[in-house]
Amino acid sequence: MGTKPSHTGISTTASDLEHAAYSPLPGHSSPASPRRPLKGFAGIISSCIFLLALVALILDQSQEPSHKPGKDEAPALTPKATSFSNISGPVARGVAQGVSAKSSPSFSGNELSYNWTNAMFSWQRTAFHFQPQRNWMNDPDGPLYHEGWYHLFYQYNPDSAVWGNITWGHAVSVDLIHWLYLPIAMFPDSWFDWNGVWTGSATILPGGQIVILYTGDTDNYVQVQNLAYPANLSDPLLLDWVKYPGNPVLVPPTGILPKDFRDPTTGWLGPDGKWRITVGSKVNGTGISLVYTTTNFTDYELLDNVLHAVPGTGMWECVDFYPVSINGTKGLDTSAGGPGVKHVLKASLDNTKLDYYALGTYFAENDTWVPDDPEQDVGIGLRYDYGRYYASKTFFDPVKERRILWGWINETDTANDDLAKGWSSLQTIPRTVLYDNNTGTNILQWPVEEVESLRLNSTDFDGVVVEPGSVVELDIGTATQLDILAEFEIESLGLEETNEVNGLCGSGATDRSSFGPFGLLVIADETLSELTPIYFRLANSSDGSLETYFCTDERRSSMASGVFKQVYGSTVPVLDGETLSMRILVDHSIVESFAQGGRRVISSRIYPTEAIYGAARLFLFNNATGVNVKATLKIWQMNSAFIHPFPLDQIH
Amino acid sequence: MKLLLLIFIVQAVLQTIYLPASQGAVQPVAVRLIERTCKQTPLYNVCVSILKSDSRSSKADVTRLALIMVDALKAKATGTMNYIKTLLRGNLKGDVRRGLSSCADLYNAVLEADVPVAIEALQKGDPKFAEQAANDAGIEAKSCESSFSGYSPLTKSNKSLQDVSAVAAAIVKLLL
Repeated sequence: MGTKPSHTGISTTASDLEHAAYSPLPGHSSPASPRRPLKGFAGIISSCIFLLALVALILDQSQEPSHKPGKDEAPALTPKATSFSNISGPVARGVAQGVSAKSSPSFSGNELSYNWTNAMFSWQRTAFHFQPQRNWMNDPDGPLYHEGWYHLFYQYNPDSAVWGNITWGHAVSVDLIHWLYLPIAMFPDSWFDWNGVWTGSATILPGGQIVILYTGDTDNYVQVQNLAYPANLSDPLLLDWVKYPGNPVLVPPTGILPKDFRDPTTGWLGPDGKWRITVGSKVNGTGISLVYTTTNFTDYELLDNVLHAVPGTGMWECVDFYPVSINGTKGLDTSAGGPGVKHVLKASLDNTKLDYYALGTYFAENDTWVPDDPEQDVGIGLRYDYGRYYASKTFFDPVKERRILWGWINETDTANDDLAKGWSSLQTIPRTVLYDNNTGTNILQWPVEEVESLRLNSTDFDGVVVEPGSVVELDIGTATQLDILAEFEIESLGLEETNEVNGLCGSGATDRSSFGPFGLLVIADETLSELTPIYFRLANSSDGSLETYFCTDERRSSMASGVFKQVYGSTVPVLDGETLSMRILVDHSIVESFAQGGRRVISSRIYPTEAIYGAARLFLFNNATGVNVKATLKIWQMNSAFIHPFPLDQIH
Repeated sequence: MKLLLLIFIVQAVLQTIYLPASQGAVQPVAVRLIERTCKQTPLYNVCVSILKSDSRSSKADVTRLALIMVDALKAKATGTMNYIKTLLRGNLKGDVRRGLSSCADLYNAVLEADVPVAIEALQKGDPKFAEQAANDAGIEAKSCESSFSGYSPLTKSNKSLQDVSAVAAAIVKLLL
């Protein structure tokens, strides 16, 4: 690596402010006390009170601590008479509406900040989700399949558990689940990516050549697009990469600011035989998708029109654009088109940290895309995931003909926690993407079938009845690594309906109404001092139709302060004759929940202090007031994926 | 004679124009940007006071104003960290000492993680990480305050840091 080129940047030296607005020293003034005429008498009285208080304190301390339930409690299904909403535990004063992933963590004000132990931190690491051995990760990059191996690259900081010094980390797997770490694929070692080897995508050319386009932040802090390709295409591990000497291949065009130009997509072929790629940007608060054509990936032409634009959505990061078959059983190559094909346009919105997608029609003749429903356009309509989820990217798997979706799941604890535990961030389990031809308005996401190879023993529960206001423990052994399939039926009790609901998911699972909430409590401890409800709630909407909400409530997921505790969720379409169903992957500090076969998905991060290791339990709950809930479940214990370094020394 | 008078007048006019700048006061155009920016933060007075007293704000765009605010955050955190270290040298009750030790860790995170991440993200043009870092600094300060079960020697410092971090995050948000 050469010496760092000098640059004119913004001064980073701290300047001591001489006129700080606040003094760092605590004020400490005690008001003068009024003089008491009967000083002696008051002294005797206060001494007596003090002595009495001391005696009371001593008596209180000597009492036994509150009884904790023993280990040999009643067997599997014991409906507890405890009312769910009366269960004590710190209720964080969080965001009432609660579908924004951006709110700051909630403090009840009386909680002491938490002293994490190494055991708690170790527990948070997942068993079967991709994460590096240590340090920071963000966007998934350039996912591709080559000669027997699925490749994943990712934004990676090799030096710290916070964002910075970004490189392309690299890992491979034969089955998208059992990953093997490889050496870093690209470092910021050239002037055109000196300040960051940022997000990019791979295009597989006919004949098998691989080209990667990625954003580099230059030594002058300008965002450019660069080309890279494998040093040795016959290396199935694609260990070494060459950066095109003529980089950058794209610089910010006129009218685009040098810091609003990043995340180039996979290319697709147009009817004229030229490739297209798209790069997200913004102009005056309107999110846009610029289109370039190329024949060789080194020379490009910017089209006059954008692929699409939506006012008020801000900067579009990690744009993704791909076809789906409307008779959806298989995924499609990125260049597919014609009748029977719709196109998904997706953007990660910088200003809200949320991923939005929309279904629409691509007009290849003029490279424009129009949403099926302008009211559900990119940035204002549907999201891939209603929890903590960002920077997603798809690729086409040619082996099983699948469109596969990766998504970055950030931590929701503090930077201090991340530094202490030495790592930050996960990727989701990769999901297949299919058009939902039952609703016609959304895609379906589902964990790739290879995750099922981790399933160990299973336990079935058939028709478990949960009465209003009760909780039923499901005896499945350890409850920290699970694959849960659940179906729910409700049976009206003929009571008067109460349907007051605040916002989409209310203020969480303690917000009771006639037809919900009901569902599962994951990563819960025996006393329910910590629990994470994942639930449905049905409600009559203003036009009289029945709406179903699918939600995750993190508010009591942990007794620690300083971690986010959001209520996430959305309405989910439920068609006539369909049962309410959910699938949940529980893997330590991440829970991925899928409703109605993947119509809506919620990814959640939780950091319990009690409900860890053997203390974690699984419960059914019904907090509705007017219905019994009957649940049928199949629950698997999940093995670890044992993600570890590729044994490179054994192949040399 | 007339020439001398002319030179004197020109010189006086030039000094009137440039002397305020050389003494650190901020030009009208920059002041308008500061006021417009600060109106979009939750603590206008804190924001204006910090920006106006930093001479770099006279040639600033919003990114630079954000960097100035992050520098102010760094200065406050450094000051509080030094205070914590000083207090820890003294004779303290167990719970106060424990609280201060926690706070030392938390303020270390602000200085070693949040501030550098915010600066890097603003310089390189991926401001969402700066927003997250600024917010995180406020959370660390809040956690510090919650580290004390009784009396906290850092209440004012923690509040001050939370205020500046809220302002910094709001300024960064304007870049998103």
